[in-house]
Amino acid sequence: MRLTQYLASKLKNFSNLPKEYIERSKKQVYWQTPKEINYLPRTVERKRFRYTTNRSWTGQFRQQNMPGTVRRKVLVEPIEDWSFFRGDRIEVLVGKDKGKQGIVTQVIPERNWVIVEGLNWHYRKVGGEKEFPGIIIKSEAPLHVTKDIRLVDPSDLQGTDFEWRFTEEGEKVRVSLRSGRIIPIPETNNQTHDYKTPNAYIEREKDTPGAVVGEITFQPKLSTFEMDIMEEMGIKEERTPVKSYWY
Amino acid sequence: MSSALIKCLNLAKTVGNATVRSFLAAPKQPWQSCSAAALQTPHVQMPMQMHTSAVRRDLMEFFDDKKNWSENEVKVGRAWRTEELRIKSNKELHQLWFVLLKERNMLLTMEHECNDKMEVFPSPERIDKVKISMENLETVVRERNKAYHLLETGETGERPQKAVKNAFGLQVSYKACEHALPPFMNLKWIKSRNIGYGGRAVNRFLLKYREKLYNAKRKAKNRSRNEVMMILRRNPNFDLDVLRRQFPDVNVDKLRNEDKIRGHYVPKVGV
Repeated sequence: MRLTQYLASKLKNFSNLPKEYIERSKKQVYWQTPKEINYLPRTVERKRFRYTTNRSWTGQFRQQNMPGTVRRKVLVEPIEDWSFFRGDRIEVLVGKDKGKQGIVTQVIPERNWVIVEGLNWHYRKVGGEKEFPGIIIKSEAPLHVTKDIRLVDPSDLQGTDFEWRFTEEGEKVRVSLRSGRIIPIPETNNQTHDYKTPNAYIEREKDTPGAVVGEITFQPKLSTFEMDIMEEMGIKEERTPVKSYWY
Repeated sequence: MSSALIKCLNLAKTVGNATVRSFLAAPKQPWQSCSAAALQTPHVQMPMQMHTSAVRRDLMEFFDDKKNWSENEVKVGRAWRTEELRIKSNKELHQLWFVLLKERNMLLTMEHECNDKMEVFPSPERIDKVKISMENLETVVRERNKAYHLLETGETGERPQKAVKNAFGLQVSYKACEHALPPFMNLKWIKSRNIGYGGRAVNRFLLKYREKLYNAKRKAKNRSRNEVMMILRRNPNFDLDVLRRQFPDVNVDKLRNEDKIRGHYVPKVGV
């Protein structure tokens, strides 16, 4: 349910990792039946994960969800249209930074969280020992998207409610309810770990150039893949196969 | 029609054998050294020249470039998409398959060696990118073969499968095999075939098995119902239409009258 919702939204995966890798790195398989004819495919693995600001492919996530740890279930309200993107200007509604505005720098849709730059921070003490008090790190705590923040209207820079509507061209946009202005999705949403804009990607030695990827070399032909390769390699088949039966 | 289908299947099988044999027996073919480094992982980018790599019959081809050994991250593009592979010719798909195969072998070798030496394997998502590309390539090849067989013979040309019940009464997928004899003459196959299931023990097993499946479904439904109750308990003004769409199994309107969705406080309305 959540994966489908995540895929359908306009939110871009900043890490640019394949879905299969994210699932594989998170998976904890404790026991699995052998792939033999006399076994049914059964798996015993972890089903409940505690999602935090540590993303699910990191080692910290693995440490927080070690085998055997049982955490209380976190209730996450379903959100149909995800509406807060990286680079959005939002207004904070709770806490010591109430009323201030900031830019969203990280989106954690598994928990309906966003992290705003420079707001909602607190000091963390890490690395303390008996004779050493530890160091203090300033960390930004996440904010809940349904209760703690509000979008800012770009016409007057005030917080506003909004809804999703369609333009004449059929594009889905966020519209401020107070002024009717479209709140555009920021360009920062398209940034990933690998590039800032798609055309600013620096290609590597094993990458295929874009022109080669888009080149059309397929010619429709009445043959299977194997027949075509045989013809290409000059392999000739003169034998007539004997009749056989499939059952 | 069936005869033509069998002929195509045999031809496809012979092609596969001949291709493998020819590839192994002829190491000096020109296609082998063509564009080994290119056609690796695509990205939509500026046009540039395609570069090639020389043939090195060396075990070190199973290992990555030396300059990547101690890196924390190796940046590569994304996997090939199905629509990008559909516009490529069979020859290029054939070449790309072997490029991806070599890359996958290299990555798995590096992963194994890094695990042995307790080193960090950089960018393990490369394995998944290569795997996705290979799956998409196989999808395109199967599409083309299926289209040919459907056009020529009216059948898909793939191995026939059928859903049958095994000796315990559970449904499994039976995959047909190729035989030289027709089924009514194949006494060995007739004797080894499983026909039907029954008996008191099997019926009791099926009863318990269906109860297990029903219990799993019932628990899942109860989990959804409890989740909806907790959401309404904490958010009394939650949009009911969203809940109805997200939880189709739960009767949201009936739950509105339950005592459990009432919290311990009076919610602040309009504040």
